[in-house]
Amino acid sequence: MWLRRLLVAAATLALVSALVFLVVDALADRAALDLGRGASPEALAARRHLLGLDRPIGTRLFEHVASAMSFELGESARLGVPVRVLIWRAALPTLAYALPGFLLATLVSLLGGVVAARRRGLVDRVLLAVATLLMSCSSVIVVVLGQYLLAHRMRWFPVLGWPLTGDPRPLLGFVLLPALLWALIQLGPDLRHYRAIFVRELAAPHVEGMRARGLAERRVVLRVLRGAAAPVLARVSARLPQLVLGSVVVEHVFNVPGLGALLVAAVRDADLAVVQGVAFCLAAATIAGQALCDLLVPVLDPRTRAREAGR
Amino acid sequence: MRQVDGWLRPLGVAGWVALVGLVVFVVLAVGAALGLWAAGFEGAVAREHLSPGPAAWLGTDALGRDLLARTLQGARVSLVVGGGAALGLVTIGAALGAFAGLRGGWIDRLLAGLCDALAAIPPVVTLLGAALLLRPGLATAIAAIALTQWHGVFRSVRAEALRMRSADHDRAARAMGAGTWHRVRWHLLPRLRPLLVTSLVLCFVYAVKVEALLAYFGASAQSLPSWGRLLAETGSELARGIWWPTLAASVPLASLVLCAQVLADRLGDGEPRG
Repeated sequence: MWLRRLLVAAATLALVSALVFLVVDALADRAALDLGRGASPEALAARRHLLGLDRPIGTRLFEHVASAMSFELGESARLGVPVRVLIWRAALPTLAYALPGFLLATLVSLLGGVVAARRRGLVDRVLLAVATLLMSCSSVIVVVLGQYLLAHRMRWFPVLGWPLTGDPRPLLGFVLLPALLWALIQLGPDLRHYRAIFVRELAAPHVEGMRARGLAERRVVLRVLRGAAAPVLARVSARLPQLVLGSVVVEHVFNVPGLGALLVAAVRDADLAVVQGVAFCLAAATIAGQALCDLLVPVLDPRTRAREAGR
Repeated sequence: MRQVDGWLRPLGVAGWVALVGLVVFVVLAVGAALGLWAAGFEGAVAREHLSPGPAAWLGTDALGRDLLARTLQGARVSLVVGGGAALGLVTIGAALGAFAGLRGGWIDRLLAGLCDALAAIPPVVTLLGAALLLRPGLATAIAAIALTQWHGVFRSVRAEALRMRSADHDRAARAMGAGTWHRVRWHLLPRLRPLLVTSLVLCFVYAVKVEALLAYFGASAQSLPSWGRLLAETGSELARGIWWPTLAASVPLASLVLCAQVLADRLGDGEPRG
């Protein structure tokens, strides 16, 4: 089963890379981008030959997928640096704020979800309303208003910036606000999602059975938590690519030199290799998250194990 | 879960309020498109950065343009992109999902694989990439969302079609020689109706949010003012204490999304999700 899942994941990843290649190839002409507008047809043809773009598309597709699968992502046309190096360099700043933000959002929304699902009444309504309101604010609004209120007005945090030296102490000040806002962006949908999971789990017949046998409420909740582990894990693993990519808006507004900023800059400069590379790495993260979740769920939830065996 | 009677679930007070809110937005946007409330303030350039008052209800922006007029124009962009993308996305997803689920076999497996691959690429990458590689504009934004984000609808419609294929009534219909079209029209579509209506509203929410993000990065409509672009333009003014342009863009954007979200929650199975 492990091997089979791994093969499926690799096949999906190869399909992603082929898809991205075909779309980019159909939409953008690398030679025309290099030479700019008004290049003569001869110059374009020569450039295409130099880049190997005049070879049949099947060959190029195969080459691209094969090299992408070994994480050879090519070289940035603007910077002349291997894409792998660029992505590696940008991943650390993104992780620095996205990981704390993600952990904060997950913890708070799990807690809020349990409380809302247990209490149902006023507490539930208020939490749900706050979550829905947060979710309705586009990330642009959250980031712009958050920066204004907390950095400009309150002066609790530096307005924007990122320390260039490796000294971790100033980093902390710059990381706090992006992490907080990133958590706030994720909080609304996450809280609603976890609440729905716990509501469903608490309504299950075996919970009534436990209560009927007079199990203490605390132990009932603990067991419900265990039962909800699989859907919660599915949600967490679905969030994995966002953990890697972070938020393009947060990075844009706070000048974080992370993956989102790299992506926006690459798209703006039409640096195709970088766009393809970022897409590929994020797809790899998504697919890895799904595979990991599929493999962990039977470990956490015996019911799915029985279902697997019964098939 | 609430009982389904008729073909839609009862909306409740919050649902009706949300629906009325959406209708108000549509009326305002259509009026703005037709130039109904243009007389008086549209194009009339006043002093720049006029704060809200009787001269300009929402104030003016850095170039002295009336913000109320720009906000109404922005509603137009959001509604057109949201509605267009949601319609396209649900149509593509439902058609492919029904086709794959009812056909089965290698076509089903191929489409499901394609759907998994599409779902693996984060939307920000596809959308920003597509919108900027092509010429940015309204049509590009709609096409980019509709063509790349149909996998969610595809999955649920396909699952429903697969479920129907093993149901007795479908087996009976097939035995009596019902064609694929007949099965889709009379058996699958009635089953899907609540799902499709909810998806339509949810996809509208999604598309409006995405449009704001694209516009913020200059990858949406170019000639019309949109809320996302307004937010991008006014972000730096906010630091100088000029708050009304940001508010003129963010309050309508958030309320439009909120109305649609509440409506989707009421139409859904009673448990709001994120």
